[in-house]
Amino acid sequence: MIRAAHTMAHALLCSCLLFGVKTWAVTIIVNPSVTISSASQNAVRAMFAMKLLQWPDGQPVRVFVLPDDNPLHRTFCKEALDIYPYQLRQTWDRQIYSGTGQAPTEVGSEEEMLKKVASTPGALGYVRKVKPGDRVRTLSVSNPVRTFSAE
Amino acid sequence: MNRTYIKILVVALALAGHEMNANADSLPEGVQVHGFASQAVISTDHNNFFGNTENKASLDFTELGANISWRLNPSLQLSAQAVSRRAGETDNGSPRIDYATADYTIHASENTRFGLYLGKIKNPYGLYNETRDVAFTRPSILLPQSIYLDRIRNFVLSAPGMAVYGESVLPIGNLSYQFGVTRPDTSDRETEGTFLGKDRPGKLKSDAFYIGRILLEPGNGHFKLALTGVSMRAHYQPGAPDALLAGNIHFDAWVLSGQYNAENWVFTSEYAQNHINAQNFGAFLLNRAATGSSYYVQGTYRLTPRWSALARYDVTYRDNNDKDGQAFSALIGVPAYSRFAKDLTAGLSYELSNNWLLRGEFHHVDGTAWLPYSDNPNPAATSRHWNMWLFQAAYRF
Repeated sequence: MIRAAHTMAHALLCSCLLFGVKTWAVTIIVNPSVTISSASQNAVRAMFAMKLLQWPDGQPVRVFVLPDDNPLHRTFCKEALDIYPYQLRQTWDRQIYSGTGQAPTEVGSEEEMLKKVASTPGALGYVRKVKPGDRVRTLSVSNPVRTFSAE
Repeated sequence: MNRTYIKILVVALALAGHEMNANADSLPEGVQVHGFASQAVISTDHNNFFGNTENKASLDFTELGANISWRLNPSLQLSAQAVSRRAGETDNGSPRIDYATADYTIHASENTRFGLYLGKIKNPYGLYNETRDVAFTRPSILLPQSIYLDRIRNFVLSAPGMAVYGESVLPIGNLSYQFGVTRPDTSDRETEGTFLGKDRPGKLKSDAFYIGRILLEPGNGHFKLALTGVSMRAHYQPGAPDALLAGNIHFDAWVLSGQYNAENWVFTSEYAQNHINAQNFGAFLLNRAATGSSYYVQGTYRLTPRWSALARYDVTYRDNNDKDGQAFSALIGVPAYSRFAKDLTAGLSYELSNNWLLRGEFHHVDGTAWLPYSDNPNPAATSRHWNMWLFQAAYRF
């Protein structure tokens, strides 16, 4: 019985990996003014790299991030963007010190992140989990390999 | 122009910018201010590098910069940066406009972007050139001198002109490109020294400088592969008493760059070839053409989140047909070892915070091909084998 349950759990885990359905430890959030509810990983990566600067409806994107050494920022970079935090920093540095772009706004904590994203039109950020009553919406990320559902 | 006064201004702007940035709400919407500063201590056992360093400790290497950018809307950004750099006799710290660029994005979607840069623009040469004065963006205190020769930095760094740029998401990875035409200043002592043997009474003036780079980043930038091409035409305006005639310089170069980014490892290598052709300078600078080559291999390893170590081997030959420099030496009379350099470097970095960085590094060098002329005016007084220690504290915001 226990063995059967174990096998079933194992099969379930395998199928999850196989079909690429996975719940991340991070949720991408946007200001309610943002009209889309999902975007490709390429688009999200380009927005956090400060290269894609407007939403499909033309509204400017306002990006908020936690500090480079924040554990949630590290998780976010690796899981949601599939890059290392230092690569994102290199991209911003190249832009701000060569006149070809800007850096995102850094916030000190998840609470501040929620507050800023809720109050800034076009805002994009991330937190661990959205609670009922938070005045933000979640953005799901789709790519050919993985499908992200924000619960 | 009162240099000290302007320097105080740069520092004041940097500090003011830092204050504003720490409290970003006080800046108008779309405006950002950033800056950087560094101070190094350099010492050598022979030869001078960025100051009087032979058996002394020199503080003559300082970098200061501040910039402001204004994102007017998603398709237009205006930016400018002022830099003051002291580097021994090669750079005296007088502030200059590093770039003043209008960036106009013609098209941007999630998979394709392209646009124009206009004004004084930064050149994308290899992997490190665009931000080479910002210590945080370099892997070491000195960039590999074979490819990022600080002696000719002025005309490679930035210049007035225009460029087209773009980026495309391909199945194999991100492809980005930039092609530009500029007219750089080539009349400084170090550039004339490189092309004309020494600082000359007249002026070396550029006619046009073409530069292009294609960068492919497979695997979300875990791999980087780049090819840069450069071509410059310049002519010489002789001075009042001048041994040289009004000759021409053709300079062409290409760089192949590769990088692998792992979580804790970064492995980088670049290979470059350059061709210098000097013609019609008369009897005192005979027509000559030489193809030189350079390469380095470099590994950095993050020991802890704050500590990282670097090792690099960096080689340059001024003339592939005369790698040991004997033929050139017999003809011109300068030491043969001034035609090559092999540099073994080891370094250690400590990031105090996201804004502060401390570095130390050691160079063991055979040859003087990239030794600054201005710090070593008498080639016969240089030594072939030399060692150099550098320490640097750097700040950015």
